[in-house]
Amino acid sequence: MESLLSFARGPLFRLCLMVMLLGLARILFLDLWEAYRAYRRAGDRKMPWRLIARRSFEWIVPVKRLSRDPQLYSIASILFHVGLIVVPIFLFAHIDLWKSGIGISWPALSFRWALWLTISTIFFAAVLLIERLFVKSIHSLSRGQDYFWLVLLLFPFVTGFVCANVKISAGLYEFLMIVHVLSGDLIFLLIPFTKIAHCVLAPFSQVIDALAWKFPPATDQDILETLNRNH
Amino acid sequence: MNRVHNTKIVLWLITGLAAAIALNRFVFGLGATTNLNDEVPWGFWIGFKLSWVALSAGGFVIGAIFYMMKREKFHSLVRIAILTAFLGYSSFIVSLIFDLGLPWNIWHMIIYWNPHSPLFEVGWCVMLYTTVLVLEFLPVPLESTGRYAAVRTFLLKFRFPIVLLGIMLSTLHQSSLGTLFLIMPRRLFPLFYSHIIPIEFFVSAIAGGLLMLAFETLALHWMYRRKVETDLVRLLCSVSVWILGLYFLVKIGDVLIEGKLGLLFDGSWMSYLYIGELLLSTVIPFVMFVVPKWCANRKVQWIGTSIGIIGVVLNRIDIGGFAMRDATLWYTPSWMEVVLSIGILSTAALIFLFLIETFHVWDIQPRDPEELAHTPPLFDRVSGAWVGNPKTSALTRHTLAFVISFAIGMALISGRKLHAEGIENVTVRPASGIDTLCVNGNRDRQFVEFPHQSHIAWMRSGKISSITIDSIRYVLATGADSCVVCHHLNLPGEKLSNCWECHTSMYSEVDFFRHDWHASSSGANLKCDDCHTPGETRTARTAKKCTACHPSYTFADTAGYGADAYYIPSYVDAMHKLCVSCHTIELRAIKDKPNLALCSTCHRTGTPPGLRAGMKWDVSLPRFDNVVLPAPVPGIK
Repeated sequence: MESLLSFARGPLFRLCLMVMLLGLARILFLDLWEAYRAYRRAGDRKMPWRLIARRSFEWIVPVKRLSRDPQLYSIASILFHVGLIVVPIFLFAHIDLWKSGIGISWPALSFRWALWLTISTIFFAAVLLIERLFVKSIHSLSRGQDYFWLVLLLFPFVTGFVCANVKISAGLYEFLMIVHVLSGDLIFLLIPFTKIAHCVLAPFSQVIDALAWKFPPATDQDILETLNRNH
Repeated sequence: MNRVHNTKIVLWLITGLAAAIALNRFVFGLGATTNLNDEVPWGFWIGFKLSWVALSAGGFVIGAIFYMMKREKFHSLVRIAILTAFLGYSSFIVSLIFDLGLPWNIWHMIIYWNPHSPLFEVGWCVMLYTTVLVLEFLPVPLESTGRYAAVRTFLLKFRFPIVLLGIMLSTLHQSSLGTLFLIMPRRLFPLFYSHIIPIEFFVSAIAGGLLMLAFETLALHWMYRRKVETDLVRLLCSVSVWILGLYFLVKIGDVLIEGKLGLLFDGSWMSYLYIGELLLSTVIPFVMFVVPKWCANRKVQWIGTSIGIIGVVLNRIDIGGFAMRDATLWYTPSWMEVVLSIGILSTAALIFLFLIETFHVWDIQPRDPEELAHTPPLFDRVSGAWVGNPKTSALTRHTLAFVISFAIGMALISGRKLHAEGIENVTVRPASGIDTLCVNGNRDRQFVEFPHQSHIAWMRSGKISSITIDSIRYVLATGADSCVVCHHLNLPGEKLSNCWECHTSMYSEVDFFRHDWHASSSGANLKCDDCHTPGETRTARTAKKCTACHPSYTFADTAGYGADAYYIPSYVDAMHKLCVSCHTIELRAIKDKPNLALCSTCHRTGTPPGLRAGMKWDVSLPRFDNVVLPAPVPGIK
């Protein structure tokens, strides 16, 4: 158990972290590179930059979305994101691992804040899951990975919460810790290859969206050719 | 199977792995990346790189054959040869950044001249020759754009003097790389040491350069599935036969004239190494290519050129490290050295492939079928899913290969704290001897001679001045013998604290408390709240003191001994603190021993007298199993 745990938070963690960091850099590079190529090829290169900037800002700072339908889902989603990002980065125990590992540290959340943010993240994840399952309009837009990610994200939060706050035996603690670390590793590993890549791609989504309508000359021929081939 | 793409994927994988190790080298240092030491400061690491310079010699050799001797048959090889040379030299320079302890000082050579050093000459030559190679190659990429036509015409006008300069510089530094080793007749094994090493280096570089070009031609034809120009390769091989023969004569003549024939057949590791190198670098390729019929056979060409190249590489590695006197026992290259070196070559190969696909380097520019300028996107025939733009998918695959192998590299390198300090993890081995101890925790050639009995006698004589009043008080209070002045005696029932039993690591701190063991079900099986205050962040500060559960442990010098101080110093630090602190105080009292606090008073070199020969002496102190488990504490199960 001990060796599995040290493997999961040693070499395996480094592997997954690097796949995540470089994978995100890669997907961002590919995204922007292809956008640039599309722009170069485009027949009409006029871009509504001002509108794109405004929309991008609205997506990154989603204050306006709070009042939009489905309202409950929007609010839950935003609060869920707060805990999801803040807790893993600013948790004392995590910072301590960084400090003992490579000697860097930063200010930590207090015990009370960490506790309540964890509870809120778990709660809002549950709200989102229920809404995805039972609200028809949201359900119809949901894919398999939307459910999968919500459930997967619950694993490290629930296990971490139990390990940090509940008096449990050493054996159970170890088991939960292994689940905690392994699920965290899996999350890192999957981030750049699934929808969670939006954590770096989101700021550019509006640019890409606008570029998608800039077709290169003679695209119609390509489309016809492709469709014919597809038939 | 697309050979070009598969080759590129493999090259990207190696590059990714090497990039992780390069990061390791810059963050944690050379000590954490290589197995080099003071005895073998170069080894595989630099010997292998020296061979790149040798294998790049094709650039100036083909330049000489084509431009000076006007052999038109070699025309199609000129650009490839120059590009190979340029990438070979560039890789060498890039690899120097990894080799140098202070890479940011690489420019010093340009300003701070040391004209007496062969390395100074090599450095300048490599720098100038790389510039020459750039000037030689520049017309090729300029061909594709009309914008710099004037520059291209200008460069072509001066082609002849540039080529001449290239030949001159190459002759200089190819041999000067051998000159480097002339200053170490006592370091290099006599069989490998020679007064004509510069000549040997020069001749073998010409042979290596030609074989490398032949190998490259074969490999490129194989990759891009083109009909092999067997004639061209045969031409290269038949030219190299003469050089290989000359190289053999030079080598064997040196052995005969300097009277080293006995060493060649004495059956030692060095003699086998030399014979093996001789066979690979000269004899085997010579025999394979000397018969015209064999020379024209493609399989023989593949095998012969590969063996010859391996031979030349082996020669440089031998002289760079393996043939260092007495060093073979001590140095085996670490996998990181090997991967980083090969990774730089992979990057160069990727640049090479990119350049021959982009510019007119080869006689017929290869067209990768998947690199076409514009093709309609692909859709999966069954599901209708978009498979991607072919051009994108090549880039996608390559970057993915890089990311994955980089991550694997990061997982493979050690992430331990001691590596962050560039320190090797050496487990301490016990001191040996009875009355006079030989302290040698890492079993190297240095040891400390410690006369235990005479130290005890000195302490009992009453003249000792370094015991502070506090510690005497402590000795009196505990009723202990004078042992406690040096030994901790803090475990219950302990009569003797062997230093190495707790200070188990030679250079790094040791986690004496072992938190994970205490919290593990197979260890102490404790719950978090058994030690930490519930409802607070679990840190060392919110934990109980060690003595709360282990009341019979005595921590002499730290009354408030808590879990936050459970890292104990390394063996070296502990020993130095214990010995040096007393010696410096005693120095003031004892007037007839002025050297008492000098390093040489305690440190010795060689094998300790009265012990078994060799470095693996295992005569050690008697070890008492003197740890008594603490009595159960009420309230803790």
